[in-house]
Amino acid sequence: MAHMLDDYAVMSPLRYKNNWLKVAIVTFGLLVGVSSNSPLVPFLIAICMSFATIYFGKIPVSFYLKILVAPAGFVLVSAVIIAFFFGEGAKLFSFNLFDFTLGVSSAGLNMALLVLARTLGGMSCLFFLSLTTPMIELFSVLKATKLPDSFIEVSMMMYRYIFVFLEVAIAVQYAQSVRLGYKDFKTSFRSMVMLSSNLFIRSWEQGEKIYISMNSRCYDGKLIMLDEKRPLKKPELILTMAYFVLIILVFYFSRGISVF
Amino acid sequence: MLVLETKNLSFSYPDGTLALDDINISIEKGKKIAFVGRNGSGKSTLFLTMNGTYRPKEGNILFHGKPMKYDSKSLREIRKNIGIVFQNSDDQIFAPTIYQDVAFGPTNLGYSKDKVKSIVHKTLEYVGLMDLKDRPPHHLSGGQKKRVAIAGIVAMDPEIIILDEPLANLDPVGADEVMDLLNELNYFGKTIIISTHDVNLAYGWADYVFLMNDHKIISEGTPEAIFTQDDNLKAAYLRRPITLEIYEEIKRRGLVKPDCCPRDIPDLVQSLRTQQLLWVKVSSEVKEGDYVNLGIMYGDYAPISSFAAVNGKVLHLHEDGLAIVVVDMKAYKSGSVGIYDTERYSKENLMDIISRDEIDCIGAMGKMSKILAKRDGIHLDINAGAVDRSILNSLAGQRCLILTNGGMVFHALERIKAYVEKSGIAIPVSVVNPKQKVPETQVSTES
Repeated sequence: MAHMLDDYAVMSPLRYKNNWLKVAIVTFGLLVGVSSNSPLVPFLIAICMSFATIYFGKIPVSFYLKILVAPAGFVLVSAVIIAFFFGEGAKLFSFNLFDFTLGVSSAGLNMALLVLARTLGGMSCLFFLSLTTPMIELFSVLKATKLPDSFIEVSMMMYRYIFVFLEVAIAVQYAQSVRLGYKDFKTSFRSMVMLSSNLFIRSWEQGEKIYISMNSRCYDGKLIMLDEKRPLKKPELILTMAYFVLIILVFYFSRGISVF
Repeated sequence: MLVLETKNLSFSYPDGTLALDDINISIEKGKKIAFVGRNGSGKSTLFLTMNGTYRPKEGNILFHGKPMKYDSKSLREIRKNIGIVFQNSDDQIFAPTIYQDVAFGPTNLGYSKDKVKSIVHKTLEYVGLMDLKDRPPHHLSGGQKKRVAIAGIVAMDPEIIILDEPLANLDPVGADEVMDLLNELNYFGKTIIISTHDVNLAYGWADYVFLMNDHKIISEGTPEAIFTQDDNLKAAYLRRPITLEIYEEIKRRGLVKPDCCPRDIPDLVQSLRTQQLLWVKVSSEVKEGDYVNLGIMYGDYAPISSFAAVNGKVLHLHEDGLAIVVVDMKAYKSGSVGIYDTERYSKENLMDIISRDEIDCIGAMGKMSKILAKRDGIHLDINAGAVDRSILNSLAGQRCLILTNGGMVFHALERIKAYVEKSGIAIPVSVVNPKQKVPETQVSTES
């Protein structure tokens, strides 16, 4: 089975760092990136976060680029469109298409760059979190946010059984496809319907089985949380602080500066 | 001492299908019990009834002589003491990490956080999964999941551990590891109950066997008694165990001693009869049926061991002081089995012992020892069934060393001693790195 985001996060060495530190870094990056009106800051954030994910988090570069490609592609396309349709005033360059004049103004270009930078910055922040902090670690963060226990417990069990059912779904789909269940649109549709109804019934049965097995271990409505102590270490703290200071300085000095 | 009994137990599902029909069993403490029957014979339902999940329609269940009650407090007590490991590990392991899953039971028993932590650590250490404790279960192999499931039950320290088809979907090495674990738990006093349709497993492993078919117990007894009765097996839609099958076939050809009931390969080897007739000169006072000492053979003439004492039973006395004897070879000097306690492990020490004792063959028993060996690059010749293989290899003159730890040390010693006693072949067996002040145990019964 192909590795998923969560699998990389489980294996990442950054997993064992303080969860709150990681959450703080990501929140800071998102807020500053969005509030900056110069594309420089979000770009810098994107570079720093990607570097941290790949270098400290030991995520393979090829995998990182692969997951970055899809959203980055969208953003590039929208940036081009923004550049052409936003902004008034003198055009940097223009051309005629039939009877329309299409042109790019400096305001439009700035806007496009800013959108591009903000999206990349935000994405790399979120990738940093999801590639270094597996769900199982996030549950303890959720717990501390005073969400109701039953909510967290249900999400913990959902997390666990997503993988069980994913395996079943892949197996069933394979079994269908070797018997030509996906040969054309109509059969694919029928197969998909059977697959999903099968999964639904299975998850129903699984629920009953889990209930019995949990009862066999004296279930009384309490699950244990993973609350590993992950103390902050000095080097991490210093590095984070340096990063914050750098970003804030760049944020301060790049106010009102536009590229074009 | 009886721990668990059922009296006229019957159960049917809400839709009316009969699932258990008048079951009367009694289970003794500390035994290894196997319920054998084909799929759908009612084993799993019986297990779920035993821990109070299903409430019987008629009859009752006695735990330590007291009838089972179904209020939540009594059920809790029952479930703490009768743990069930389900056939499909995914039905049981529901927590997002291994640690949390093993901690589930002890938490429910109301232990303090620190106590839960120490129990979980001890249990994970015991099943050899400590390094995976923060992993999600879908990162584990089938055998590892099964060990987590067992750990989840062991952590509650039950008296009886019930395992539904413990070896289903496991590869041979994974299966051996699970069985090693069960033997060890049993050695420390737990009553182990398994269900299986693998007759070989039940025959070689269990102390007592229940055959089930059609929601009924159709016969019970020691494995020897149960599996030699073809009628029993036929009624339960089962086959004869492979060791017995082989034994019967070679018995028909007159190559084995009659009335043995070999349960494993060493037993089977032991039951082989040497089939050589010799003309020998005997003194005049020898009568028919006497044994004469023919001396010692070695090397190529002693296929069973490096040295063999050869005796002959006189079948027929001839004139001129000649007699026809049937040759009976007994291993005179075999290899040896050393047991290395990995609780006092150091690589130098082990290497010293290996070169000092000229060890030919190293095996490991228990997950901890296997992990140690792998870590330090010690080549293991035996990975599974360490005791049996070591006996066989030492019979062939090899010096074997078994790496193991804790209670398994004495377990292994006793298994080998039991073999020595049964076969009359002296295999020197000792703990090679004994605790201070403990004298070496040397077992040698002369034949």
